[in-house]
Formats: sequence, structure tokens, C-alpha cells
Amino acid sequence: MTASALTQPGERERFAVKLKSIDWTFSLALAAIAVAGGAMLFSIDGVKWAPWAAPHLALFAACFLAMIVLATVDLRIWFALAYPIYAAGLALLAAVAVIGRSSNGAKRWLDLGPLHIQPSEIVKVGLVLALARFYHVRSAKTAHLSWRLLIPAFLIGAPAALVARQPDLGTAVLIAATGGAMMVLAGLSLRIIVLGLAGLAAAIPAAFLFVLKGYQKARLLSFSHPEADRSGSGWHIIQSEIALGSGGLLGKGFGLGTQSALNFLPEKQTDFIFASLAEEFGFIGCATVLLLYATVIFIGFRIAATAHSHFGRLAAAGVTSTFALCVLINGAMVMGLAPVVGVPMPLLSYGGTVMISMMVGFGLVLAVRVHRYSEVGSGRSGLL
Amino acid sequence: MTRPNIVFDEVNERQGVFHRRAFLLGGGTGLGLLALAGRLAQLQLLQSGRYRLLSEKNEFEFRLTAPPRGLILDRDGVVLASNRPDFRLLASRDEHTDIEDLIARLGDLVPLDDVRKRRLAADLAAAPRRAPVTVTEDMTWEEFARVNVRAPELPGVTADMGELRVYPFGGAFAHVVGYVSKVTAADVTKTGPNSDPILLNPGFRIGKQGIEKSYDLELRGKPGGEKVEVDVKGRVIRNDPAGNLPSTPGETLRLTLDADVQNRALEVFGDDSGAAVMMDCRSGDLLCLFSAPSFDANAFVKGLTGAEYRALAEFQMKPLLNKAITATYPPGSTFKTMVALAALDKGIDPNRTYYCGGVWFWGGRAWHCDKAHGVQNMEQGIANSCDIFFYQTALSVGPDPIAAVAREFGLGKTFDIGIPGQKPGLIPDTAYKRRAFPHDPVWHPGETPSMGIGQGYVNVNALQLCVQVSRLANARVAVRPRLVHSVGDVVQPSGAAAPLLSVNPQHLQFVRAAMASVVTSGTAAQTAQLGLGPVMMAGKTGTAQAHAYKSGHGEHGAVGAWAERDHAWFIAFAPYDDPRYAVSVLVEHGGFGAEAAAPKARELMRVVLLKDPQVRARIVQPMPAAPPPTPALDQPSHPSDAAASEPT
Repeated sequence: MTASALTQPGERERFAVKLKSIDWTFSLALAAIAVAGGAMLFSIDGVKWAPWAAPHLALFAACFLAMIVLATVDLRIWFALAYPIYAAGLALLAAVAVIGRSSNGAKRWLDLGPLHIQPSEIVKVGLVLALARFYHVRSAKTAHLSWRLLIPAFLIGAPAALVARQPDLGTAVLIAATGGAMMVLAGLSLRIIVLGLAGLAAAIPAAFLFVLKGYQKARLLSFSHPEADRSGSGWHIIQSEIALGSGGLLGKGFGLGTQSALNFLPEKQTDFIFASLAEEFGFIGCATVLLLYATVIFIGFRIAATAHSHFGRLAAAGVTSTFALCVLINGAMVMGLAPVVGVPMPLLSYGGTVMISMMVGFGLVLAVRVHRYSEVGSGRSGLL
Repeated sequence: MTRPNIVFDEVNERQGVFHRRAFLLGGGTGLGLLALAGRLAQLQLLQSGRYRLLSEKNEFEFRLTAPPRGLILDRDGVVLASNRPDFRLLASRDEHTDIEDLIARLGDLVPLDDVRKRRLAADLAAAPRRAPVTVTEDMTWEEFARVNVRAPELPGVTADMGELRVYPFGGAFAHVVGYVSKVTAADVTKTGPNSDPILLNPGFRIGKQGIEKSYDLELRGKPGGEKVEVDVKGRVIRNDPAGNLPSTPGETLRLTLDADVQNRALEVFGDDSGAAVMMDCRSGDLLCLFSAPSFDANAFVKGLTGAEYRALAEFQMKPLLNKAITATYPPGSTFKTMVALAALDKGIDPNRTYYCGGVWFWGGRAWHCDKAHGVQNMEQGIANSCDIFFYQTALSVGPDPIAAVAREFGLGKTFDIGIPGQKPGLIPDTAYKRRAFPHDPVWHPGETPSMGIGQGYVNVNALQLCVQVSRLANARVAVRPRLVHSVGDVVQPSGAAAPLLSVNPQHLQFVRAAMASVVTSGTAAQTAQLGLGPVMMAGKTGTAQAHAYKSGHGEHGAVGAWAERDHAWFIAFAPYDDPRYAVSVLVEHGGFGAEAAAPKARELMRVVLLKDPQVRARIVQPMPAAPPPTPALDQPSHPSDAAASEPT
């Protein structure tokens, strides 16, 4: 083992030491984003705590504690649970397709007694863990190019396909992109990457013609020409840009955003919360929040880079990639640079399940940080 | 020793690949975030002005507010048309509205019958998105309060307070003042004043008849605007009073009419059909312009049902027709004043006599008179309205001089009194025959006797006859009628500013004296006495044939079927010795002028004379000087003083 000479054997296993080695800048940045989200949720519905601001902040507080606790969980335990978590997520996802609850024409929810679960969120974390475990025991050569890569391709493809069927195009894209990013990080052959990107470019028009549903097509089309249907599918983009642009440098002021208060901004508490923020706090507020996101992403990748175990590296990088993709996709969507797909702005948007999965992911990232010097055994010998 | 799964150098290799690629991925993410920041800068810093405007356009709506319509007053300031509050319910639709469901729920709020529901559905479907449509108007305060509480439950439904035109005298002024009613699609034009978007405001009304129509723009005023903050559904969140633009009320219109005379006309006509026109013969101001039977103009403001409208339109007495100016009738014997003037002007001796034996044979046929008047000179001919005298007088004058005098006195003319619908009637002469009868362009001598008694081709309206008698009474100026005294502060030109009459004043005096005899000893001696002491009226009766009396149809006077009876006329002026007021009364199919028309003229004349202080001074004997009021009598009129003084 590579224990540092400065530490006594077993010293790193002490809880207080683990707490100390948590990255508090990272955690504070997360908290700052969530508080900004709480403030916006407080503002956009008549400056009151109900129905969004209070639950948002309360859930974040609980998730934050859970994240700290998860950060102290040994990486070997994460490693051992990787496949089970993934398998459970995939099974629940399959169950949704059969017995899921429909809401707004999409089957995304599973009602298990008092619990309402969105299995696509469990799969997000499970996929990162499963891929990290898969590559942990594979050589660079295997990761570069071999028939074994069909396994990660299946691990990614199965949940992505199930989620796309719900239909939840945004999350499906997110899952596929996260998995792809991890394969690339693990060392996928450049030739395959180029071929894959080219195939993707070729598949988009085909998917547009044969796979996408009517409203999905309308969203994509209105992205390129929002003015063509002002009151219909172009509405989201136009109103979002008005909210952003009218904010100006300093914004209209807290609680004074008219686009959100008068409901011109659709889905103002979830997908378009960033537009509300932009309207009330202007460029200064937006740049500050983007800086917080950049901080989280930078530290996330740094934690990945400093981990000694390949499992830790890939797991931290995978979670961070998911987070970064969410921010980029939602940001681009709100600013009219990408079609409207249902991807929320992580921690800023209202939405319990997404926040839980994100914070569990960050628990994993911090666990990688806390256990950065630990080696994870290969295969079944990992634990104990 | 088992070989580890991954040998050491391979571990280093995959770590290296990871580091390189993580660096690239992180860098890519950073670039992505920078791109977002750049887009934000573009939207929020460079284009923020444009988006700020768009945001305000989203937030605020400028809603037109209808201006209060100008008042219409009589000559004393009595209100003839004003506005009252109107509690109404409006509904609008947007792209998500289920119209049938909306109407069903509105039906729970206010009573709506099936006809109204169908009309409302059509209105809503035709209206632009978010443009309010009137659901119901004129709710009681209780209904309004109830609806106002519940309306916010229904998106797009609002209760508000508008204004509704009200005509306090109902029927008396319906023809002359006219009415406003709802704007129809045909009223809205692409350009001009009726392209104003205020016309599309729910409940907005424009003038459709009479003064309301011809002075619509002056009365309408200028619409204002209300700046309101609306949400995405168009519901008003709050008003911004600072951004309101006040509306400009319409001009007040003062008419020359006298409400007392006009209302008296409504009373005296009762169930009769006809018209009454009164003028101040010195100024030309119209004091009365009445048509009977009338209708309630307020009903048109609310809108008539098809059945109600048909009932009005199909009634044989034609209540919707303004008989004072639009319908023309033969003037009958009132025209003899014109024939007499033409004869005098031609130098015919007024003392020349004709014998009336009740019938006169000329040109191969018998010409009848009411009765055998015996020997008649001109004054007797007018006083007794002897047809046989005027058949022969007309023949000796000829049609053209008679027509010239009639035209100088306003017959066959229309006057600019500011309301539409005047018919000129016809004063025939030889030129007319040449023009109108290309196959028989000759004036036959046999047509002249009929003209001499105001029959044949001669057709006039009641306003023209009033002008005629006004000019006879004025004796100097060819006064013109004036109906609108002032628009806002702008006083309209007086009717007295007119050319002088070219008729010899002595001849006029002769005709006036003969008209006085009509009332004192002639045809109207029983029915046209004012009973106002020294103030006397002078007049002329007319009984005009509406049908040829043949094969049992009709008979002189008020007998037979209503539509075949004679028209009764009476024209008059008073006081005889100091002419101030002139009147013409037509009773359609009323029979004899002296019996049907003269009493009505007398009543109208009494009202206006008794309102005139100078005339009143001649009639009313001064009271003996009253003793000064005593303090004892004064005391009880101040009960508070009395109460205060009680304890002492």
C-alpha cells in the first residue's frame, strides 16, 4: 500500500480525519448554487416560501448531510455496490416501462408505496459506478479497442434506450453522453471516437425523420426559427430570451422579474429557472452563478485527476461530466443556443429526484477525494 | 505468485491517457461555459435595450377607454340625451378557450337564453384573440356585485362599468335626436373616422339616426387609454394610473328645440299620426320638430329583437318615419296663401269677387267646393277656404308665378338643419312638366285649378310649411330654420341672416289679415282660439285629398278607412300683431284641418306663448302689490331656529 510516511497506519480511517479531507470549497460552491436556486424559487411565485423555495432548501440541507456521510464511505464499498446499484436502476427502469405512472404524456415515475421514484436518476449514478468498475480491471489496450467494449456499450445503450422510450429525450441524451465521455476518458481509440461522432451526425437527420415524436420535432424546428410560431413551440425560446435580455447588466431586482411573475416564462421553476435568475440579477448574477458551476466542475475534475485508483478517477470524472453536461445543455437551451429538451439546471432548478441523484453523485466524488490514496483491489478481492 | 491483472506499465499508460483526456474534457467544458457567458453578454449587455422593450410590451397593455359621449340639450339646457352607468359582463377567448364550456359557465353566472348563447358563441368565435365581447349589459347592482366576485374564477371573464346612452324623454325626441346603437361590421371602414379602433371596443355605440348620426364625430369625443399590467392570460394584474391617457369627452350639443313644446306635441298627438313643426319666426330657431307616432329611442340603444323591429317597421302608421321632414303630402288649402300672394303680385284686385255655388263647371268637368260660399272676395276666399274662388284665381295667375312665390317661401326646398332624410317634395310649373313628362311636355290648363288649391302635383313636408308661415309672419326676411344652436362653444349661424323677401309687404299684410279672419270668423273659428286675451293667432286650415274619391273610396273628412282619409293641415303664427312663433301641424289621414290639426297647433302655441315673458306680460294682469312678509310667518320655515328658541 502507498500510505504516506506522514500518517500512521489506520489514521486515514478515522472519521474526523475523513471529514477534514472533504473539499469544503467544493461543498460551499454547491451550497451557494442551491441557495441561489432557493432565492429564485422564493422570488418567482409572488415572493413567498411556498410552494417551491422551502422544500427546495430543506431537501438540499438533507442531501448535503447525506453527501457528507457518503463521502466517508470507503471506495471499496462503492466498488462492491457498483453493479448492484446499476442492476437495480435498470430493473426499475424496465418496471417503469410496464407499470409506471404517466404524467404529461410521459411514463417516468414509479410509485412504490409512499415512494415516488424516477429510476432514470438512479441509473445515472449507477451507470457511472458500473462503467468505473468495468474499466478498473481492464488494461489500456482493452479500453482502447477490443470486443469487450461491447459490454460498456450495452451498459450505456440499455438505460438510454429505456429512458428515450418514456419519452425523456433530455435524460437519455445525458445518459448516453455521460457514458460516452467515460469511455473516452478510459482510453477509447480515437478512430472509434471520430467514427462515432460521424455516425451521430449522420443519425440525427434519420432520427429526426423516423424516431422523434411530433412535439419533439416541433421543439427542434422552433429552435432554429422561433419567430415562425410565436405563440406555439417558439414561445419558450422567445420568452426566455426576453427574460434574459431584459435583465441587462444588473437585473430588474429581487422579486421584480415580470416575465416570471406574470407567467410569460414557461416552466419557470424548473427548466427555465436560469432565465428568471438572469431577469432579476442580470449579467452580474448570471456570471456569478456560472463561476460557481465552473468551480464545481474544475474541482470535480481535479479530484478525479488526483485519485490513485482508476475506479475513483473514472467515478469522479463521470459524475462531474454528468453535472457539466447538465449545466451546458440547460444553459444553451435557455439562451436559445440549443433546442428545448427537458434538462434542468442542476441544484438551481426545483425538482427532488434530480437533486438527490446529483448529491449522491457528489457524495461519490467527495468519497473519491477522501479516499484518494486508497487502492481499490481488482475484482472480488476489492472489499476487505 | 499470480500475475496481477494489470501490469504496472499498463497502469501508468491508462492513467496517462485519463489525465490527457480529462484535461481536454475539462478544457472543453470551460470553453462551453465561456461560450454561455459570451451569449449572456450578447443578450444582456449588447441587446438588452431591445429585450427590455419586448418585456414591457409583454407586461403592459394599452387598453382604449371610451370617452363619455357629449350631452344633447334643449334651448334651455334641459337634457335630451345623456349617459348613465352600465354594469356589464365581458368575456374574451384565447387559443386554449373552449367556447362552449365558457358559455355554459357564463350561463351559471347570468341568465342567458338559447338565442343569446348562440349569438355569443358566434361573437366570441369572430372576435380576435383576447378581444372582449359583451356577454350581458345593464345588470342591476346586485347582479354586478355577485358577478364581480365570481368572474375571476373564469379566465378571460371580467365585469366592468361602461356607459350607456339614455334619452330621458323616450319617444318625444326619437326622430330628431335619433339614437345610438351597436357598431355593426358595415359601420367600420378602412379609413376615415370610422376606422378608429375604439369602434371595436365592447359596447361602443355610434349614432344611427337624427342628430346622433349627423353629429356623431362631435359627440363621440376622443378615446383615452388605460395602461394595465397583464399576465400571460391577459388578466389585468394592476393598473398604472400614471400611464393613463385621459379620454376627451364629446362636445355638448345645444339644440334650439324646446322640451316643453316637444313634450306637449307628444301629448296632443295621442294615437294620431302626423307631424308638428314650430319655429321662432324672427330667428328661424326650430322649437319643435315632432313626428307621431314615436318610439322609445332607449330600446334601440339596447338593441331590438327581430320581432320588435318588425312590429315597428310594419305598423301602418310608420313610427320609424320622420314625418316632419321625410314624408311629403299635398298641402291642400294652406297653399292658397301662396296663390293669393301670386295673384296680388300680378296686380289682381283683392276685391274682385267670384260666385261659389258649391260646384263650378269648367273645361268639361265639374269642380267642387265644400259648400256654396256665395259671393267671395279674396279675404273671404282665404277665410272660408273657398276652392271655387282659388280655381279661378289660379287660372288667371298661371302656374309659373304661383310656383315662384311658393319657392320663395321655402316650398320645394330642403334646409340645412343638420339631420338627414329631408325630402324636397314638389312645386310644379311648366318647366317641371317639360322636364318630367317627355311624352306630354305641356302644362294643360286643367292642371292649374288643382294647383290653386294645393293638390295635383304639389307636395310639401311639414318643415317647409312651417318655414312658409314663418316667412309670412316675419314679412321681411326669408328666415331659415336652425336646429343646432351650438356645438361645444361654437354657436351656429342664425337663421335670420338670410336674404330679404321680394314680396310687397302690403300684400303680405293682406294675406296675414286674411289668416287672422280664418281664426276669428273663418274655417277655424271654433278650434283655433288661443284664449289668451289680447294675444291672437292667425292661421290657415288645409284638408288635403289623399286619394281620388271614386267608386266609393273615401270621402271628404274623417270618414272611411284610415289610410284613405284626407290629411289635415293647420299652419299658424302668433301673436298676430307681433309675430314671434310659427307652427305647422299635419295629422296624417286626420280628416278636416280645422278639426284635427288646428286644436293641436293651438295647444303648442299656448305653451310657447306662455313661456315667453314678454307675451306673458301682455296676458297676465299685474297682481296688487303684496304686503311685505311678516317675521311671524317667516319663523316656522327655520325649524332649527325655532327649536333653539323653545327653552327660553
